[in-house]
Amino acid sequence: MQTPLESFIDHKADTGMQCGNYSIDIPKLQEGEQYRFHFDATACVGCRCCEVACNEQNNNPADTKWRRVGEMEGGEFPLFTQLFNSMSCNHCIDPECLKGCPTNSYIKIDETGIVVHDDDTCIGCQYCTWNCPYEVPTYHEERKIVTKCHMCHERLAVGETPACVQACPSRAIEIEVVNVKEWLDGAIDREANMPFLPDARITNSTTRYTLPDNLPENMKEVDEHILKPAHSEIPLVFMTVLTQISLGGFLALFLGDVMSLFGFVQTNWIMALLVMLPAALGLPLSALHLGRPFLAMTAMKNIKTSWLSREALALGVFVLLMNIVVVLYFIKAPHVTILLTELFTLLVGIFGIYAQAMIYRIKARPAWNRTTTNLKFFGTLHVGLFLLGFLAIVLGLKEVAIPLIALAMLGAISQIFFTYEDLRTLKNTKENEYQLLRTARLYDENFSKIKLFRFVSIILGGLILPLLVIVLFSAGLFAVSSLVMFISLLLVFSSEISDRFLFYSTVVPLGMAGGFFVGKQR
Amino acid sequence: MIDKIKDFLGFDIKADKYKLSHDPQFGMISDEKKPDKWVFSTCGYCGVGCGLYIGVKNGRAVYTKGNPKHNVNMGTLCPKGLSEHQLINSPERVTTPLIKKGGELVYSSWEDAYTKVADEFKRIASQHGKKAVGVIGTGQLLTEEFYTLGKFVQLGLGTNNFDGNTTLCMASAVMGYKQSLGSDGPVGSYEDFEKANTIILIGANIADNHPILKLHIAKNKNEPKIIVIDPRASKTSQMADIYVPIKPRTDLALFNGLAYIVMEQGWEDESYIKANTNGYKELKKHLQNYPPQEVANITGIDVKTLYEIARQFTAQDAVLSAWTMGVNQSFMGTDTVSAIINLHLLTGQIGREGAGPFSITGQCNAMGTRESGFTSSLPGYRNFGDEKALKEYAKIVNVPEDIVPTCRGYKYAEIIDAIDRGEIKALWIVATNPLVSFVNQEKLRKTLAKLDILVVQDAFMSDTAEIADVVFAAATWGEKEGTYTNSERRCNRANKAVEPLGNTKSDFDIIVDFSKYFEGVNELLFPSWSKPLDAFNEFKKVSKGQLCDYSGITYELLEEHGGIQWPCNEERPLGTKRLYSSDMPFVSKDQKANLLCLDWFPMAEQVNKEFPLILNTGRTVEQWHTRTKTRSIDILNDLAPEAWVDINPSDADKLKVKSGDRISLSSARGRVEDVVVRVTQSVAPSTLFVPFHFNTQLVNNLTAESFCPKSGEPNFKQTAIQLHSDEVPQGLEFQEDEISGAISYVKTKYEGIKIKEKEMSI
Repeated sequence: MQTPLESFIDHKADTGMQCGNYSIDIPKLQEGEQYRFHFDATACVGCRCCEVACNEQNNNPADTKWRRVGEMEGGEFPLFTQLFNSMSCNHCIDPECLKGCPTNSYIKIDETGIVVHDDDTCIGCQYCTWNCPYEVPTYHEERKIVTKCHMCHERLAVGETPACVQACPSRAIEIEVVNVKEWLDGAIDREANMPFLPDARITNSTTRYTLPDNLPENMKEVDEHILKPAHSEIPLVFMTVLTQISLGGFLALFLGDVMSLFGFVQTNWIMALLVMLPAALGLPLSALHLGRPFLAMTAMKNIKTSWLSREALALGVFVLLMNIVVVLYFIKAPHVTILLTELFTLLVGIFGIYAQAMIYRIKARPAWNRTTTNLKFFGTLHVGLFLLGFLAIVLGLKEVAIPLIALAMLGAISQIFFTYEDLRTLKNTKENEYQLLRTARLYDENFSKIKLFRFVSIILGGLILPLLVIVLFSAGLFAVSSLVMFISLLLVFSSEISDRFLFYSTVVPLGMAGGFFVGKQR
Repeated sequence: MIDKIKDFLGFDIKADKYKLSHDPQFGMISDEKKPDKWVFSTCGYCGVGCGLYIGVKNGRAVYTKGNPKHNVNMGTLCPKGLSEHQLINSPERVTTPLIKKGGELVYSSWEDAYTKVADEFKRIASQHGKKAVGVIGTGQLLTEEFYTLGKFVQLGLGTNNFDGNTTLCMASAVMGYKQSLGSDGPVGSYEDFEKANTIILIGANIADNHPILKLHIAKNKNEPKIIVIDPRASKTSQMADIYVPIKPRTDLALFNGLAYIVMEQGWEDESYIKANTNGYKELKKHLQNYPPQEVANITGIDVKTLYEIARQFTAQDAVLSAWTMGVNQSFMGTDTVSAIINLHLLTGQIGREGAGPFSITGQCNAMGTRESGFTSSLPGYRNFGDEKALKEYAKIVNVPEDIVPTCRGYKYAEIIDAIDRGEIKALWIVATNPLVSFVNQEKLRKTLAKLDILVVQDAFMSDTAEIADVVFAAATWGEKEGTYTNSERRCNRANKAVEPLGNTKSDFDIIVDFSKYFEGVNELLFPSWSKPLDAFNEFKKVSKGQLCDYSGITYELLEEHGGIQWPCNEERPLGTKRLYSSDMPFVSKDQKANLLCLDWFPMAEQVNKEFPLILNTGRTVEQWHTRTKTRSIDILNDLAPEAWVDINPSDADKLKVKSGDRISLSSARGRVEDVVVRVTQSVAPSTLFVPFHFNTQLVNNLTAESFCPKSGEPNFKQTAIQLHSDEVPQGLEFQEDEISGAISYVKTKYEGIKIKEKEMSI
């Protein structure tokens, strides 16, 4: 009779079994190959061993899950189909986490293709958690950084089985070798997709799925009933709105300065200072959403591929240049110097806000990834125009105030249109319809009051009250018109803040099917 | 302050806490939890019996890792096993003995607790007789502890009103094996899952309840045909090549019908039947009542499928039929077990590789208590009432014959009834939690309030412990040593990894120490016993020569071989893979098994206008039984933090509810509020499923006091209920079912008696 050890070794040799096994025999990689996961959904019984084993291996707390098991079902009793998806990281060929990371904290290891995260340089900005269409990277509250599955690369390196693979009693998870070229040449489209997962081509995921034949058409994810608002990102709400207001104000300043060439009132240092203030206040605010604010400056590291780095750099320079403009006014530098500096500053600012908008143009978050995001970000500029208009009224500059307010009103009208269009297209877009409709539901079910406030406040503060201001101001009632303009300014400002709050809170990311109670665990 | 600012600014990413480091036994593992030592042991949750190592660091259990060299699990563990070390330091633990004073449980010394209970037991015994003390045990202790407990209760306290929570789960299998094969004792091995050509799972949701068994199916190279028979399309149904959506509680009719087809087609193994069984002729005659069309009407399975299933038993191929609670927890659980065994006997599908009837056990050591625990038989499978066996036992353990019980006392439910009648005055509950797990909770709560004294011995503050007069604080898994025996008769070694928490003691020590408070008992029963090995050695002597022969087993052999399957003796030094193979006759007098004539009866509590739905209860993989062990293990509890009710979309539409809504359930006995709805096609219209783990949504408020007359096991699985949603508070309307033929007329009449009793009690 064999001893259990002999029987185990024999069995392992017979079958190439990876489960149960603390050591692994996988072939050495050839040129153009990398490691990947294979998940056999026909073998998985949904026991969640992998999920628990992963946390035990990595000492993670219960709510930080690198591997999650999602559940879907369909068909009609008794022809009922239940489908599980156990997923950690897909170790993509073109990882979005890596491209977007402003600090270059992701490394796709050349030798193995494993995507690992460099904890030391991570600043906890969580941009990767937005970028990954699978929501793989997860913020670790205790560590203040993002963490993720690294295929137990330290175990693999010494011939040991990753925890999830080892734990599976159904042999549903395995480590395999994939030839990248062959995979991209077509196998990926046949074998990398799974219901309720985003298209594998977005990031060229490497995980191979084995699915049951003839899945019913009415498959649903079992956490369909869980619809929770996303994180509201309050620091970012203020940071984006304030920097956009500065750009709007600066645009007005520049236009005024240009107009002064034609005999209009000369712009001055107070105006330059006023338009600089929002951005100077807002930009540092963004550091508050970081897990590690003290490393905020390192966010500019990845200019090459990260819109976040570009935004950080451009807006940083923008604020710096605005400061210089203030100084130039103050020391009464030559007009042409001021004008040229202003032009350059404006261009940098426009690029900064464009980069800021592009941060959100990511496939993983369909509600953000629409032209209306860019339009609305620039639409917020009208508040800056109103800001300077307010100053013109307070200073009693009639010939400046009225055209400026008229221009700002045009801006407000555009913004109303962009906002309306943004909402309308949520409900009739075919691509990512599932997520967009859920975003629409969040607007209607969770935030209908804020949505109403958004429209009422911008119509009142951006159209009706400014009209009144023009009338009052023309009639020479300076004090009253200043007061009304101030109220109007407050209204459009809070309107933009509320809309930006909704922008963050209503996004429904792509991702995987979740669990009935725990949802996506993200 | 500086630390707070530093923390806010993100200076410390706690890299040390989350780094890995090399462990010589298991490789790269979490550095923070890297143990000082690994202790060989066995899982303490379910009856699969997985081998594992407990990692101990600074005297605390920090890891559990599957033992790759163990026959059962080959290195794998289920999610409960993987996080099992967390239960030892659970905040739910009882850390010291407690005595109720002024309505509150307060800390006490062991001496005070023992004295109080012993005095009360003695007073009650002298006033009302020894049998006025009842004991309800468990399937959770170690075999050594079961033997010690049983011996103390039956011979020391002198009461045979002693049963275990195993009656809520395995009793029907026990009685079925006894009446069919002459003795209890599961026949096969997990290895049979690897060797079978056809695997039939009957009322067994192994994906949730015994996931590690999937490993053995995954190892099967024959590409076995898997047939899942279950009224609910559970996770397990997804493994099936043929899923058979049987109507609730019609499985006995199904197996009679399959036997009919086997005989009709001449597919039986005549030589096997002749050589090994009694009752063939009678069975053939009896089965004429179960022609395929009639069975199709009863079970809802079409005739073609019936033939297809029956055909699996014909060829030389091996058929394994495995079942759990869907079969056992039934009014006719015992007979259903026998109906399954009938089919295997008729076709000779027993006692060989990959073939056999196979009961999968619920608890880690339900088997241990069956063999040694003194509840359903004298230790070592000696039948009550067998005078020779009694004498033999008394001689081996050197006690007077007259203190050895001659008959079985009350079963679990009968003990509860006897308390209700005032016949039993004291109840000692060991490691079980009836206030979640037993039927008809409202009545049970009232009944337990009638006791003079309720003693609960548990490692966790269970719902039942909360109402106890005295709590004996027990050590739990990992803090004590002994053996567990699993579903395939494999005795496994469980070692002590850490010291018992606080002022707790192992159940072995509790019982032996407690016995000292009864004059002469300790000296008679436990002479110079100091450790579990003393009990094990006596049980080895007691079991020698019996079917469950442990005489060849030593603790060392168990560790060396990853457990040993009894019988293990001189002839079979490394145990026995399967019973009743060609070299092992049945244990009855004529060495033959019995083919039994068994009748199917419809449910006593039919669905009706008031309660038009059938409720099925069961388990989910993340939780253990009444959750005392798992509710504070976040990673498990978060995944299933409360009960839910599975409702078919057609019923959900009528009730105007969707997934995530809340709903109430009611039956003739009670109501459960605030259960979250899960709309799913995994249940048929008019049937529901709710897991029973949760004291927050106590589904056993609804279940009925209907018990298998032979095993005493409750009919948990079918209860007529109504649903009440906010929008449709009156619930669903009753859909009249077609009544099938003459048989059901006869059967309904039989159970008429039961129904009348019920009406009176309601």
